[in-house]
Amino acid sequence: MTEVTLAVVLPLLGAFVLPLTRHTGVRWLAAVIGPALLAACALLLFAAWSAFDAPYTIALGSFAPPLGIAFYIDRLALLFALAVPLTTLALWPAEAEADESAGRRQSLTLLLAGALSGLALSGDLFNLYVFYELAAVASYGLIVGNGNSPAYVAAFRYLMISALGSVVGLIGIALIYFKTGTLNLAHLSTLSEQLADPQGLAAFAMLVIGFGVKAEIFPVNGWVPEVYSAAGKRVAALLAGLASKLAVLVIVRVLLLVFPYDETRQLLLVLGIFGVAVGELAAWQARDLPRMLAWSSIGQLGVVFVAFSLPGTAGVIAGVTVAMHHLVVKSALFLLADRWDKAITRLRGAASTSHLGAALFVLFSLSLLGLPPLPGFWSKFLVLGGLAASASPLQLLAMGVILTGTVIEGAYLLRVIVMLYAGPDTATPVPRQRRGNLLSASLFALVLLAAAVLVDPLWQGIEALADRAVDTTGYQNTVLNTPEAGR
Amino acid sequence: MSAAIGLVFFIGAISLCVIGIAGIVLSRHLFRMVLALAIAEAGANLLLVLSGYRWDAVAPIVTGSLSGQAMVDPVPQAMVLTAIVIGVGVQALALSLVIRIRQRYGTLDMQEARQRMQDELDNDAGVTPPRSQERPAGERPIPAPAAVIDAGGRHD
Repeated sequence: MTEVTLAVVLPLLGAFVLPLTRHTGVRWLAAVIGPALLAACALLLFAAWSAFDAPYTIALGSFAPPLGIAFYIDRLALLFALAVPLTTLALWPAEAEADESAGRRQSLTLLLAGALSGLALSGDLFNLYVFYELAAVASYGLIVGNGNSPAYVAAFRYLMISALGSVVGLIGIALIYFKTGTLNLAHLSTLSEQLADPQGLAAFAMLVIGFGVKAEIFPVNGWVPEVYSAAGKRVAALLAGLASKLAVLVIVRVLLLVFPYDETRQLLLVLGIFGVAVGELAAWQARDLPRMLAWSSIGQLGVVFVAFSLPGTAGVIAGVTVAMHHLVVKSALFLLADRWDKAITRLRGAASTSHLGAALFVLFSLSLLGLPPLPGFWSKFLVLGGLAASASPLQLLAMGVILTGTVIEGAYLLRVIVMLYAGPDTATPVPRQRRGNLLSASLFALVLLAAAVLVDPLWQGIEALADRAVDTTGYQNTVLNTPEAGR
Repeated sequence: MSAAIGLVFFIGAISLCVIGIAGIVLSRHLFRMVLALAIAEAGANLLLVLSGYRWDAVAPIVTGSLSGQAMVDPVPQAMVLTAIVIGVGVQALALSLVIRIRQRYGTLDMQEARQRMQDELDNDAGVTPPRSQERPAGERPIPAPAAVIDAGGRHD
């Protein structure tokens, strides 16, 4: 049962062993070690997933919670933890030339994967903060990894916004510790009533700002477009697809366990609405593909927050669906933007040089828009259905904004598609897609199509997962009554 | 007495946070932003230490002979140590980025560096920059001073 911790330990270990293997002279070892570790993590997480019957905790170092730090493993945590090694494998920075900087990128990617797995599993607020900072530091390094000048400025601005968020989040953590004297999420959820006053809600808002920087939540997402267009597109795919989802998971855990109140849900709802409106409008204005995708990912994450603001299991079901769909689609779209990183008008006739790339772009765009029977339809359907079911004025507004956002999304994505299939511009031919990127994007497309076919079992799986996720008393009992776990 | 000192520390911690955050938001100089970040982090750390501090207690060290006296909560202090280490790492990384920006763009001004970054991104993507008040489209309506043109003409 304790082997799930290896999903955090192995990538972290690999990140520091990798630079050493470079000096052994065995070249293939350095190339193989990263993917092998990630595959091992994926395998053992999958084994834990299939052997799973009830949530359990792992007390690290056998110090029982709430004194020690505990990992809490349920389906929700396992799903997001499993997404980490799989997505990282698909976006692995495999370079043809094994130079020093390629090795550094691989180390940082492993570091990011380990930290993100920790974010999925940990059940302690301060431990989450540490993993979050670790992921942030790894991502700064990855952003400047391609060494072009705009990336340094973009990374510096990202660092400043993120560090500001961390300070605010740390104040929030201090505020919670003042009021309760604990930071264990299960313990906090038993003391939840103490936090149902203005000070507690202020602490929640501060945590949202702190952890929301990576989740591209509304007021702290100014770094997104410049970082995603200045960094390498595989890095952008990792950050937009994967890292943002794990940050969302942290906020959702805090919301469900410690602050299950209408006020906190409304805060997320309002921030989500702003995110959708700002993101989609700015994406419509954008004139190059990377920045269009970056702004649109802000809009999509707005939808994720709106989804998670729905009360009860409906919120978790809708939120998980939207988040996972966005993970698959946005990662793949950023992979395609690697070679198509120019102005949209310069993509004229790109379909004639890479048929598969254009076809994949159409598939992902249609799913993002929500064309049935693609999974994007179901995810948007769940969100809108949930909003319609509890129709307060704010939720109706959210519905209107999401629907309008979808129309705008259609306008800008179809603009790109029309350009791709327009008659080729012979003067400046569009560069071909790289084979590795096409392969990875095809894998994402397979996942998407499989999800479209297997809607029924997926639905049942997510429903069971959501039932567990909202069960706060179950969480408390599992964490606080297992002194022997982890031996 | 101790309550008054506690209040002073609280006000100090919150002021440090406010000064630091204001510094990050308001200043344009890259190095000052890093310094402001250090101040804000110091404030947050002080707040975290205060959250577990008791004025009538001793240091949380078990010496063998437990006197039964109250001890200060050691958990926030351990957390603050972690937060300080993370903060130092992030500040060092920020400074190394400042050095690189200075090398590439020759400036330490945030707005100027950002402008040059946007220009370079636009240029790489082949997009004309959007119109703004600072950069109106087309020529400015005011012609160049006539005297300068005349002077240039007569020399030839």
